[in-house]
Amino acid sequence: MINEVRNAVLSILNKNNYGYISPSDFNLYAKNAQMEIYEEYYSSYNKTINAENQRGSGTDYADIESPLAETLESFLVTNSLTKSTDNKFFVPSLVTTGDESYYLLKLLCYPIMLTSGIQSGTEVTNNLVCTTGNFTTYGIISGDIVVNTTTKATSTVVSVTSNTQILLSSNIFPTGAPTNNGFAIFKASSLTEADKVSMGKITMLNSSNLTAPSNEYPSYVYQGSVLELYPSTISTQGQVQAVYFRFPKVPKWTYISLVDGSPSFDQSQTDYQDFELPTEDEYKLVTKILEYCGMSIRESEVTQFGMAQQQHEQPTFSMQQ
Amino acid sequence: MAYLSQYQYYDNNGGSPQEANWGSYQYVSLTDIVNNFLLMYSGNHSLINNEERYKVLFHAKRAIQELNYDAFKEVKVLELSVVDSLRFVLPHDYVNWVRISMYKDGLLRPLTENIQTLSSNAYLQDQQGNILFDQNGNILQPQYSDIDFDRIRKTKKSIYLNSGNQFDNQYGWNYDGMWYFDYRIGDAFGLNTETANFNPTFNIDKKAGVINFDSSMAGELCILEYISDGMEGGDNSLITVNKLFEQYVYAAIKYEILNAKFGVQEYIIARARKDRRALLSNAKIRISNIHPGRLLMNLRGMDKIIK
Repeated sequence: MINEVRNAVLSILNKNNYGYISPSDFNLYAKNAQMEIYEEYYSSYNKTINAENQRGSGTDYADIESPLAETLESFLVTNSLTKSTDNKFFVPSLVTTGDESYYLLKLLCYPIMLTSGIQSGTEVTNNLVCTTGNFTTYGIISGDIVVNTTTKATSTVVSVTSNTQILLSSNIFPTGAPTNNGFAIFKASSLTEADKVSMGKITMLNSSNLTAPSNEYPSYVYQGSVLELYPSTISTQGQVQAVYFRFPKVPKWTYISLVDGSPSFDQSQTDYQDFELPTEDEYKLVTKILEYCGMSIRESEVTQFGMAQQQHEQPTFSMQQ
Repeated sequence: MAYLSQYQYYDNNGGSPQEANWGSYQYVSLTDIVNNFLLMYSGNHSLINNEERYKVLFHAKRAIQELNYDAFKEVKVLELSVVDSLRFVLPHDYVNWVRISMYKDGLLRPLTENIQTLSSNAYLQDQQGNILFDQNGNILQPQYSDIDFDRIRKTKKSIYLNSGNQFDNQYGWNYDGMWYFDYRIGDAFGLNTETANFNPTFNIDKKAGVINFDSSMAGELCILEYISDGMEGGDNSLITVNKLFEQYVYAAIKYEILNAKFGVQEYIIARARKDRRALLSNAKIRISNIHPGRLLMNLRGMDKIIK
């Protein structure tokens, strides 16, 4: 989509000889335009909910909420969180989960750890081997979660082969000679959602006789770049998963320079990144980028054109209510 | 919670204890209550929205506690022997008592609560009656007060007609088929029926957490029937509610949240309150198990001639 957007922008700019923008400028504007539209999804979603509650939205083709929800859900990801210290886990980031969280929807925990230890013995593909293990006595069943606490890779139990060996659904331990990776096994059926609590409430909640965080009802607080889980026994790598809306990836229009110097679109480059917004929002991207271009080339007419197009084409929910 | 297979129900899948799941179908767990409530009564299109889960949990537990106090009729029973200290320490989950009995000679004898005190604190005093203090300014206390000491030594007399009564084992005379005694129990004013009980008596010291018995209870077995609050020692996974009250608990949570929320119209709160009350009444009627078989047994006594 990014090439179509760029072509449209250049076409409008060139139509009246307003000028030209370089690929690097375009990429900068594209990133901002995408982010603006992405953030609008959330406020629009809220407005659709209000509209629904006021009978301002129907079902089937009159359903204005579902398309928006689907767009938002395309950014929804689930990732295991990396442990920081004790009961603290890092919030999703490029370093820990490979993407950044825009909004943390929910936190899932496996509060019950069945056993943990150090992998030992010759490792077989898709297996966990621990020569000192006693796997048949911990109530481990098919589907339970196995985490390599060294590499942070996760798998599930297929069957307990013996006291010292478990067959896994995927290979998360290096095969061959033992590498002494740590492991932890969590009870899959103990999966529960942690309740987000504000820092102002957590002290009182922890000392509450009826509602103190427990294995059944864990809680967490957001503190800087970490999430602090309660009860504090939730402190093992692999025990916490986050379901969150990630930021859209930064778009990048990549090119190869031709002999005459004008860039030609080349999507085979490794850093190429298309827009992640749905096709129906292509026109919004064009108009928003035009706005930025108008500012850049000091052509107020371009900016006004972009804004006018947005107002003309983009339905506003404030008008509906 | 998923439904149990029959093998799981009867034999706990071969695990121990075998009886772990017996009767479990009558109950719904706290986890299910909270989960169902959040799923069905809370959300963007519901009356309740943007409420933290711990609030739902709190109101669910409070509703269960209230039900345990009377509506459930789930009475716990504990048997302990009363030793020479004549005390019975209240169970860890005790909230209130229903009945206290002595088990003796194969019979369960309900005991009477003593209208007089059986136990007391005491302060040490000098001969002028001044209270004595230690170096930290705290009052010095003996281990037992005199009233406690007498009770434990079995020298305290009872106004009840049991072995502690001051006239117990006193002689009497039989004249013309009638018994006559030196003491005046029921002589001029008739018997005081309130204290006319042969069995041991008790007092409950709630703050001290003990039941104090009179001396005739020494060495006997005590059966305490009591109610708890259903919180199972704080283990959330064990807290359950009888299914007959499930809908009531949802209504109670809903009402409590709406009632405490700012800006909710009064008619909505009133509707929630009525809903809660009606569901409680229905559930109480259901659990009271009034059915023809039971009524029949009671009605059979109607024709009995009282002589």
